[in-house]
Amino acid sequence: MTSISKVAHFQPEQGEQTAPTQDKDQVHRVLLGKKQILVTEDEPLLIQLERAGIHVEYQCREGYCSSCSIKLLWGQVSYPFEPLAWVQSGYLLACCAIVKSDIEIAFFE
Amino acid sequence: MSYSTFNRKHFDSMKEPMFFGENVNVARYDQQKHPIFEKLIEKQLSFFWRPEEVDLSTDRKDFQRLEEHEQHIFLSNLKYQTLLDSVQGRSPNVALLPIVSLPELETWIETWSFSETIHSRSYTHIIRNIVNDPTKIFDDIVNNEEITKRADSVSKYYDRLIEMVNLYNTMGLGTFHVPGKGDVEISMHELKKALYLTVASVNVLEAIRFYVSFACSFAFAERTLMEGNAKIIKLIARDEALHLTGTQHMLNLMASGKDDPEMATIAAECKDEMRQIFIEAAEQEKEWASYLFKDGSMIGLNAQILGQYVEYISNVRMQAVGLDTHFETKHNPIPWINAWLVSDNVQVAPQEAEISSYLVGQIDNDLDESDFDDFDL
Repeated sequence: MTSISKVAHFQPEQGEQTAPTQDKDQVHRVLLGKKQILVTEDEPLLIQLERAGIHVEYQCREGYCSSCSIKLLWGQVSYPFEPLAWVQSGYLLACCAIVKSDIEIAFFE
Repeated sequence: MSYSTFNRKHFDSMKEPMFFGENVNVARYDQQKHPIFEKLIEKQLSFFWRPEEVDLSTDRKDFQRLEEHEQHIFLSNLKYQTLLDSVQGRSPNVALLPIVSLPELETWIETWSFSETIHSRSYTHIIRNIVNDPTKIFDDIVNNEEITKRADSVSKYYDRLIEMVNLYNTMGLGTFHVPGKGDVEISMHELKKALYLTVASVNVLEAIRFYVSFACSFAFAERTLMEGNAKIIKLIARDEALHLTGTQHMLNLMASGKDDPEMATIAAECKDEMRQIFIEAAEQEKEWASYLFKDGSMIGLNAQILGQYVEYISNVRMQAVGLDTHFETKHNPIPWINAWLVSDNVQVAPQEAEISSYLVGQIDNDLDESDFDDFDL
């Protein structure tokens, strides 16, 4: 359906012996044109972009309307819940996407 | 091959394509070829609402105080929306049910169409509340040239598909002479093409055509006018966003060829025509905006701004189904509309308004006696 990676459980299960994760405190860079915004994995991208003063289109804010679809040029995001809206390959849904690495995004070109 | 309401053949419905496979027999929802349609049904059911929940007594007073050209804007939009939902309340059923092959998709189509009938009922609720003679308004929908012009473009793809499927179901494949229409070729390729273009035109209807009216309704509400109406439109917009997702999934599933490999070829073949459907609808909506504001604009909105909004939203919708954007406008000229479109941003005391996210019948069975420990009677 999409090339964007989906992580089913975005919080590691308790007692898991994999590499230590500091997911909660992890900060990633979001590049948007010449701007750079720092985001965490605590909240979806949309709310963090809004807090940084960037206007993003939205409607439902829960993954079914696709109004907040943004181009994902590179990097990784995941969805704690698979959104109902169709996510085009190379795009992300800002209202429910959790940023998992440094990413670069773009609006219409 | 004629339609059967209960297909006796034995087949695996998980292997059927969305359309033009076997007629659905058992309505079962424990397994789905495309689980998305089951999820859409669940979501739509959780959205259930009734127009009478919204009180419109203040709207009546507001309406009487509107200037004449503002009343024209308000009523014209209502008429246009009534037309659109009259079509949408029946056409997905009539056109798509005879050819659908998956139980979950069949039920999604019915659920979707049913929710459109609620929208139609809400227009009656609004019209009955603000004018003394609703007949005058309803009659104008079939008389008003500006509206009938649009009726043709919203219904023609449906009508063509319905006609072709009727022929297919009675005569099978071949070329048939239809009085008044000449020879009509019925091949699987032509049927699938008609289907793809129909879904594209429905996508346009829900994704672009409704939004001009939405913008006007919310522009009134920004001035604290016709707020009951805005509340209803908000509920309608929430449903439409879901329907839109439904048609986007259908189009994208078809184009990907994952569902039916032949559909991918057809989608590629129809790309230009689909693009034209989007562009034509956008141009018509811009014309409609000029008609709305012919006698004067309203505060915060005029034909030019509304036209830019149409261009903007058309770009967004085109991109969502994998088409290149067409218009210059890359930014939303009325960003305030998002705050109205969002399902539940208005903080109200529950005794003052219906909460639109309220779910009926949500019971938690996972209770223990200890949960009542802090209860004092």
